[in-house]
Amino acid sequence: MLTLTSSRHTALHDWSAGGKLAGLAVFSVALFALPGLWSLAGLGLPLAATLALGLFPEWLRLFRPLVWMGLVILAWHGLTGTAPEGLTAVLRMFAAFGAANLVTMTTRLTDMQAVFLWLARPLAPVIPPARLALAMALVIRFVPVLALRADQLSQAWRARSPRRIGWPLVFAITLAALDDAEHVAEALQARGGTE
Amino acid sequence: MERSLTRIALFAALIAALGLIPKIDMGIGVPITAQTLGVMLCGTILGARNGALAVLLFLALTALGLPLLSGGRGGIGVFTSASAGFLIGWPIAAFVTGALMGWMKEVSTAGTFNAAVAGGIGVVYLFGVPGIALVAGKPLVEAFWGSMVFVPGDVVKAGICALVTVAVARARPGLVQA
Amino acid sequence: MSGIHLNDVSLSLQGKPILTGIDLHLTEARIGLIGRNGSGKTSLLRLMAGLVAPTSGRVTVEGASPTDRKALLRSLGILFQNPDHQILFPTVIEELSFGLIQQGVPKAQAQARARDALTAEGRAHWEKAATHTLSQGQRQYLCLLALLLMAPRWLLLDEPFAALDLPTEARLRRRLDALPQRLITISHAPAAVERCDRVLWLEQGRIRADGPPAQVLPEFRAQMARIGEADADTDL
Ligand SMILES: Nc1ncnc2c1ncn2[C@@H]1O[C@H](COP(=O)(O)OP(=O)(O)O)[C@@H](O)[C@H]1O
Ligand SMILES: [Mg+2]
Repeated sequence: MLTLTSSRHTALHDWSAGGKLAGLAVFSVALFALPGLWSLAGLGLPLAATLALGLFPEWLRLFRPLVWMGLVILAWHGLTGTAPEGLTAVLRMFAAFGAANLVTMTTRLTDMQAVFLWLARPLAPVIPPARLALAMALVIRFVPVLALRADQLSQAWRARSPRRIGWPLVFAITLAALDDAEHVAEALQARGGTE
Repeated sequence: MERSLTRIALFAALIAALGLIPKIDMGIGVPITAQTLGVMLCGTILGARNGALAVLLFLALTALGLPLLSGGRGGIGVFTSASAGFLIGWPIAAFVTGALMGWMKEVSTAGTFNAAVAGGIGVVYLFGVPGIALVAGKPLVEAFWGSMVFVPGDVVKAGICALVTVAVARARPGLVQA
Repeated sequence: MSGIHLNDVSLSLQGKPILTGIDLHLTEARIGLIGRNGSGKTSLLRLMAGLVAPTSGRVTVEGASPTDRKALLRSLGILFQNPDHQILFPTVIEELSFGLIQQGVPKAQAQARARDALTAEGRAHWEKAATHTLSQGQRQYLCLLALLLMAPRWLLLDEPFAALDLPTEARLRRRLDALPQRLITISHAPAAVERCDRVLWLEQGRIRADGPPAQVLPEFRAQMARIGEADADTDL
């Protein structure tokens, strides 16, 4: 499956994933602890990094869904006469979002997963890491399968009905997920099950 | 063992797939994304524990950088935006929905609807509203009233969740955890 | 006790009898299993693979019960009818190495062996390929490779040719014929089991006939033709 990791290799890709995530955590806490104007500098940091690394257009595109959210917050504060607070809140959100996206874009999924599995180690008696990794692989395998199934079902629907697709489609793909879970459980069992 | 693992994984994938269906007519003419519907279904069909784990697995993979949220969103950034509280509320919502289902003697449309409303709306907003307040820099009360615009859509999803759950329980007797 | 034994095995699912009074001792290298849709072929295979437990009677594979998963992994592998129900991993290399890891091979070594197998099949470029982008025939082939890597003594194949085009079927058939393993192949088409050593004909959950193809297939063909000509479609 497509990941949000940038295919364009940069120097940041070689930094350790754990280090980048720790840095991001410190950065985000500082954003909220420091007074509002600092968030402008906070936004400047990932901005400068992406410009320097040639990732800027890709990075900017990720902001698209956040723009309307920012506008709503600004308008909301504007109506209640607290425009400066609104601007700070939006800047802070954009800075945290931008920095987090920079980490996501420059860290491979497998490296992220390794950090995650390391963090989840205290849970090992309840959820063994191997089981967790298997569950993750299964999700990645079956998202495209279920998405394709949904697409096929909606085509089958459209071939027979002029109306828009309603809840029966949700029923059909829910059932598909449930049935696939049975089949996959069997396939796992046939190859030795989970330890 | 295998079965609960694969159900958790497949329902995590289902939440993602529901976010990819472009427009489902939810019956009120307003196309909305179906991912919260997926969260509710995790609770009503898989039950409290497995439902919550499925949602957690989905969120973990999203955080790791897979664009699984509707509109192709993903990465750690989604947990910094104003809607982060809603995402954090999701696994707990699935848990509460599943626990309420567990109390029912049989899977009924009305009972499932109520469980989905309590978990998928009550719990989700319990976490979502403070999230908005924190990120938008607004008092809780204002954030509460502001987020009410999304509630009607969520009520429709709870209704669809009830219809789907009852239909699934009928199609696969014994597979729905209630 | 070599081979696969079924002693007076019956299976009911949700109160419905699926298989009744099956008594078999299987040792031949090539065994065909034929019967109409719903006659219980897949269920019989699932019993042998330990995926369902018999309601009564006893199944043993190479002397061990199919519930002994560790022993079974070495003695038997099953190819599902639908590869989408079998492939567990997003990439080819993960799919191939999983079975070996399950057998206790360290991960790096398992991946190296999987890579070697791909290279030997002239498909080294598949290694990083996403499994969902392979065609139906390729996915089935991948499932077979994954099984062969685990090197079980028996291979159970559920309608392996059903979804393949003719050239793909011919290639797969050549590949299967050359295998040293013992094969049990399900098919509803008699031609597919013509060269087997032994053919089992299942009807409504019972063994209707059991013997060399020259003995079983003519009667099977005749009966299928008779049913096909009758114009009552009530049992379609
Ligand atoms: N899980 C199940 N629950 C109930 N009935 C089943 C189940 N699986 C198969 N059956 C029934 O068992 C019979 C035999 O099925 P199957 O073994 O798949 O036949 P075949 O492979 O020969 O087509 C069919 O009538 C089918 O409906
Ligand atoms: Mg079958």
